[in-house]
Amino acid sequence: MSAPSKGREDVLFRPLSGVRPGLVACTILAAMLAGVLWFCWGYQIRYDIGVAGINRPVFWGLYIATFVFWIGISHAGTLISAILRVTSAEWRRPVTRCAEAITVFALMIGGLFPLIHLGRPWLFWYMVPLPNHRGLWPNFRSPLAWDMMAIFTYLSGSILYFLLPMIPDLAILRDRAVAEDRGRFRARLYRLLALGWRGTPQQWFSLEGGIKAMAVIVIPVAVSVHTIVSWDFAMTMQPMWHSTIFGPYFVAGAIHSGIAVLLVAMYVLRRVLKVGDYLTDQVFSNLGLLSLTFALIWGYFTFAEHLPVWYAREPSETAILLQRVSGDYAAAFWAMVILNVVVPLGVLSFPRGRRPVGTLFVGLCVLVGMWIERYLIVVGSLRFPRLDFTLGSYQPTWVELGILAGSFGMFALMYLLFMQLAPVVSIWEVREGEQHASRVGGGVEPEPHPVVPHPLGKRA
Amino acid sequence: MAGEATWLHAVFSSSADARDAVRKLAEAKIAAKDVEIRSSVPLGELPPLGSELRTRVPLTALCGGLVGGTAAFMLVSLSSMAYPLPTGGMAIVPMPPAAIVTFEGVAMGAVLSVVATVLIEGGLLRLRGRPGPFDRQLADGGIVVSVRSRAVPPAGWASNAVATEL
Repeated sequence: MSAPSKGREDVLFRPLSGVRPGLVACTILAAMLAGVLWFCWGYQIRYDIGVAGINRPVFWGLYIATFVFWIGISHAGTLISAILRVTSAEWRRPVTRCAEAITVFALMIGGLFPLIHLGRPWLFWYMVPLPNHRGLWPNFRSPLAWDMMAIFTYLSGSILYFLLPMIPDLAILRDRAVAEDRGRFRARLYRLLALGWRGTPQQWFSLEGGIKAMAVIVIPVAVSVHTIVSWDFAMTMQPMWHSTIFGPYFVAGAIHSGIAVLLVAMYVLRRVLKVGDYLTDQVFSNLGLLSLTFALIWGYFTFAEHLPVWYAREPSETAILLQRVSGDYAAAFWAMVILNVVVPLGVLSFPRGRRPVGTLFVGLCVLVGMWIERYLIVVGSLRFPRLDFTLGSYQPTWVELGILAGSFGMFALMYLLFMQLAPVVSIWEVREGEQHASRVGGGVEPEPHPVVPHPLGKRA
Repeated sequence: MAGEATWLHAVFSSSADARDAVRKLAEAKIAAKDVEIRSSVPLGELPPLGSELRTRVPLTALCGGLVGGTAAFMLVSLSSMAYPLPTGGMAIVPMPPAAIVTFEGVAMGAVLSVVATVLIEGGLLRLRGRPGPFDRQLADGGIVVSVRSRAVPPAGWASNAVATEL
């Protein structure tokens, strides 16, 4: 490795050594916000689910909307990283790690929301494939049981897909920590997590084979997860839910929001950790184009979802459509369209808009827009069931809003802790990319760094 | 000490030089078990040393998928039959949901078997692995080529091969 690239790598190791006051302050703030989630959830468990605003006919409120939102966010990493790996996109190298981390943390948080929504989370075990005290097993006809299986598979697969490519980097950290005689905790931790990695050709060969296989497996799993989440809705007879395109519509929305959160996270990492040499303008531009593509796909699906409803004039569905287009939810609906389609189209269509600041702006807009979409689908539809006499209203309470805000704090907290324990950019993949570039480009391999005197000794 | 092997280690900064050293070792007909190459990046194709790199990941993924899928299908079908719910004349074991759960089982089985294969083939899970020579250089991007020589002092061929860059 050349001296410049060695020096360039220092920024990746910097947050992993010592105490960074800025990072510590952010971590404390995030922990405080995350504390709001646990406090509100504890309050809800203490005083029961009545402290939330959900009531007939809006049985699924902010919790389920947020659950769908976080599961969508989770598509940022594993799916995007797997697609980029399978297609051998070279620019993926600095992106994959930070994207995969988003998946794991978002899934963990998303998975909390059904438990929160249960009100009595200890009853969750009824969904675990074990017979209860009456010998009853979970009913696998229920989409909720499919959901449980899909999310568990995706979470397990994502965690392993996240950890597997990290082993060589953890070995690098282990070797550095041991050589520099840094904190015992870190050295022990990295030694444990590196699993005795030595970097032999056989280990590399197996690892690369494993990563490729995992990438191929995880793509259909990711698609299945959000499709199954959409089937939670589509399998009911609720107006505006019973739709055949809900599966792909949800998947497109999930990837759209996933790319958005990735753009935001990358911008923050670039600014905070000064990793602009890795997360370059070109990476933002490429992801910006991907975001633009999914904005158009999502816009197409939204149009395709609503047009037949308008055309058919089926009363119960038309009532919801009119509420969205010109009724109580008109402001939210049009804000959603503007944030998810108009803004990305207006900004990302131009090279200048695909610069980091432009993509950050679009990312934030899409995140808000996609949360509104989830809310409209859940609450905006449930408020208007087929039977008019069950019409109702829904207003989230402070407990629900606290849990929503706290979930963002929890996500930030996990991401900040991760940033301080492992490199956010995959070091070995970037090094491999540099080697690859020098070979393909016909360039000469980088200058060697000072060579160690010829060693002669016994094997350690 | 008689009978004890002596290791020669060389650190290369470029993969081309490391490949060259390995090629020389291969030409000298050094057994694969007497050579160890370590790097912080995959080196790709290396000159043959008499042993080929192999992975059974595709095979185990397939087998794991089959096992996982079978287990998931049995979970749906056996649990449905263990306590048959009134289904209004429809099938006790519903095929579309069974297909969905089976798919997730296939994926889970494949993922777990891939990870297990990587760990076993790579000889990982040695949580107490001791630091090796030149680990720090390895971490900085160096490539360590080690050759075992039973002769004391080491045979000339070994020194010549790994001393390419030194």
